[in-house]
Amino acid sequence: MSRIEGIFTAVTKNALRSRVGLFFSALFPLMLLLVFGSVFGGSFAGSWAPLLIGAFVMTNGIVALPNITTEFKRRGVLKRLSATPLSKLEWIVGNVLSQTLLAVILTVTLLLAAWIVFGVKPMINPISAVVLFTGAVMFSGIGMVIAGLLRDPEAASGLGNAISFPMMFLSGTYFPLSMMPGYLQSVSRFLPLFYFQDGLKASMMTGDVSTALSDLAVIGVLAIAFLLLGSFATRWRSK
Amino acid sequence: MTLAEMVISVDNLTKKYGDHTVVDGVSLEVCRGEVFAFLGPNGAGKSTTIEILECLRPLTHGSARVLGYDVEDAHSVPRIKERIGVLPQDFSALDRLTVRENLELFAKMYTKSTSIDELLSLLELSEKSKARFGDLSGGLKQRVGVAAALVNDPDLVFLDEPTTGLDPDIRRTTWNMLSSFARSGKTVFLTTHYMEEAQALAKRVGVIVKGKIVALGTPAELMEKFGGKKEMIFKGGGDGAFAALKTEFKDLSLDGSNVILPFSCTAEIQEALSVLSKWGISCEMEEKTPNMEDVFLRLTGFTIKAGGEAA
Repeated sequence: MSRIEGIFTAVTKNALRSRVGLFFSALFPLMLLLVFGSVFGGSFAGSWAPLLIGAFVMTNGIVALPNITTEFKRRGVLKRLSATPLSKLEWIVGNVLSQTLLAVILTVTLLLAAWIVFGVKPMINPISAVVLFTGAVMFSGIGMVIAGLLRDPEAASGLGNAISFPMMFLSGTYFPLSMMPGYLQSVSRFLPLFYFQDGLKASMMTGDVSTALSDLAVIGVLAIAFLLLGSFATRWRSK
Repeated sequence: MTLAEMVISVDNLTKKYGDHTVVDGVSLEVCRGEVFAFLGPNGAGKSTTIEILECLRPLTHGSARVLGYDVEDAHSVPRIKERIGVLPQDFSALDRLTVRENLELFAKMYTKSTSIDELLSLLELSEKSKARFGDLSGGLKQRVGVAAALVNDPDLVFLDEPTTGLDPDIRRTTWNMLSSFARSGKTVFLTTHYMEEAQALAKRVGVIVKGKIVALGTPAELMEKFGGKKEMIFKGGGDGAFAALKTEFKDLSLDGSNVILPFSCTAEIQEALSVLSKWGISCEMEEKTPNMEDVFLRLTGFTIKAGGEAA
């Protein structure tokens, strides 16, 4: 546990001390919520907050995590850590927990803003916490797959963005899904972000427990699958 | 050497990438408390060998045991890693963490750790303990790397080019620290392309070229065997001294105005002085004893430049 805690503490501090990283992972979504909530009203802000949380938990996992991990790889930090008794699994778990904490910080920031500025009181309950945790794990798993497959931070960011941007649009982050043609709405059902955002919305805003639980089941299975793939892709020993 | 004293035992270690052989049948043993230096130019196979011993790379053929454990046995790997310290080439850590925080991170990876304050003090890093790693100079980063290698109070420490990038004072401090580390019963396995480092630190030196060990022994043994004769340099003697000495000595050379006379015993020098005296020539003398550079040159036909490349 000490090793996981060590990795968790170190990578979290390292992430929180990056002003640019912190801006894009927490302050930028807050700005978006404040600006568009002011334009379209409190009810919009209330229904949009879970979608923004979902989208930025995803970008943190799919873009930021592989970027920093490949940077560690390129600079030999990962190799140096792998020369200690730290196992691959401990490294992954430490990073996933760090991503979960960042997701909690993002969520609290956005929900507080929605409540204080727009008067939208979210429902904080165990299901929303579990959905948030599972989503963060799922996207960290995808991030670990990307980081495992690529050596170059620029390539990792590029691939992360190539995956996350279409997913954000096709899952209804910026345009309601009802505005999209039927076939695009069908595509969204194959995207992990759709289930994560739907689960967050159902558990935090609408209180639809059965929807939240069915979404949770999907992202739970995907989280396990991507974690396993991420673990398989992460190389702990050179060739 | 008994089995208990043997800390590293390598037999016919070979590492291949496809048809390319990087390490070619290396065999060596290192015992407890020894400082062993692997000396060779860049690309000789030093780092690959050390990474195999650190359980970071698989070997292709042969066997390697570290602290009594087989490096290829998955169950033994955590046990080996628990008891070794590692300084890789171009050590790097988390940029936005302070020096202390980085050392604390490495300390948490082990069940046993030493005092961070003592380490900081030992490596003269106390004043920089709150500085972020990313803001440090290359030399300071390397010192943090040495501290990280010692953070678990290891029985055996692997140092890959430990003093590259360090200024001469800190290099000597690091040498002293490594020597005292070895005197306390710990073992040091280092790679270097600095001849003087190998000569000053190592109890034994393995010279590796193109993946093969071409010589293995104490610096004194290697210098005696491969270093050639001592040389007396008659400074500024010029053509006159050269012509005079040539009457008695066949093996003689002229380097600019300096006359260089290889010799085995002091009687030869006395004879040379008497010849010069007869010819009415007097000049300053300087004795040059063979060093590791001479050993390396004789063994390989080339020297190593400051950056580690063969020249």
